[in-house]
Amino acid sequence: MAYINYDNKEIAFKIVYFGPGMSGKTTNLLHVHKALTGHTRSEMVVLDTEEERTLFFDFIPLELGMVEGFALRFNLYTVPGQIHYEATRQLILEGADGVVFVADSRPTEGERNLESFRLMINNLLYYREDPTDFPLVLQYNKRDCERPISTNSIQNELKTGPITCTEAVATRGLGVMETLRDVSRMTVRRFQL
Amino acid sequence: MMNSPGKNKELHDLLNTLLKESSARTVLLISKEGVCIDETGDTSYINTTALGALVAGMFSATREVARMVGEDQFSILLQQGEKRHIHVSLLAQSFMMVVIFEDLQAIGRVRYESNKVAEKVVHCLRRDPRDGGRDAEQLSVPDFREYALNLIDRIFHS
Repeated sequence: MAYINYDNKEIAFKIVYFGPGMSGKTTNLLHVHKALTGHTRSEMVVLDTEEERTLFFDFIPLELGMVEGFALRFNLYTVPGQIHYEATRQLILEGADGVVFVADSRPTEGERNLESFRLMINNLLYYREDPTDFPLVLQYNKRDCERPISTNSIQNELKTGPITCTEAVATRGLGVMETLRDVSRMTVRRFQL
Repeated sequence: MMNSPGKNKELHDLLNTLLKESSARTVLLISKEGVCIDETGDTSYINTTALGALVAGMFSATREVARMVGEDQFSILLQQGEKRHIHVSLLAQSFMMVVIFEDLQAIGRVRYESNKVAEKVVHCLRRDPRDGGRDAEQLSVPDFREYALNLIDRIFHS
């Protein structure tokens, strides 16, 4: 649920980028940070290990502007993708208003995508969110790889029903802003007092 | 830089009292979602938005550590540095009061003063923020959604 501060007149939404390790979650955020200019973006916080893999989380606060007298803010987080950081992943998902699942389109990564997607669903259920009624965008990243997996492979394997999907090559910025726009729109449409 | 009081003057006054009585450099109030609700003292040397997110993450992680050793939560965190130290108290399971101070010998006073204002701060926070205010009445959800969606389309374009 969005955080509303009546004193500071601010409404903040939390968007979490979830997905298997090395699928491109941090790369998505880095592109968002690079693409936005001026007062919209703030400093990005990156907490990574020596191997440049996310240890705790990455964070970027975005201030979109004033809406109905309230400052509209989106706080973007990534979770660590590596399997042994399950506790951290669950913590960061707490209070999320929307999730982007970043899948790796390389044909070798199918099983890791499925495993991570299942974990995300379990984490949403842990926080009593209905995954079928939760703002979720499934981004198939690394579409420039050889023989990318189909953009309905996760949905078909896990019989999820329809999910909003985007295609991306985050290293080149392709599809990154579309993904953010889709999940933000879904999140705002669900907003209520 | 001294920050001007927020709209919730009672809350801001309490944080100011804590700042003065504990001779701290900065006091911040952060929600468990990582949003900085109020701040007082010198904030010129820190990015309060980033600090809010990090402190919230730190507290979440600490809660898991507490559970592992059979506690529900550790109510206080202390980070000791060379020149600056951070004392974080958890309020009502949902807020964190952060005191940044420089004299480590004042730790007792920081802890005492934090504890002293904690209940009053919780009382302030527990009141429905919409009570007595017209902001909530003035916020039309359909209009908010429409304007927000326009803003999103304008800013998040490829």
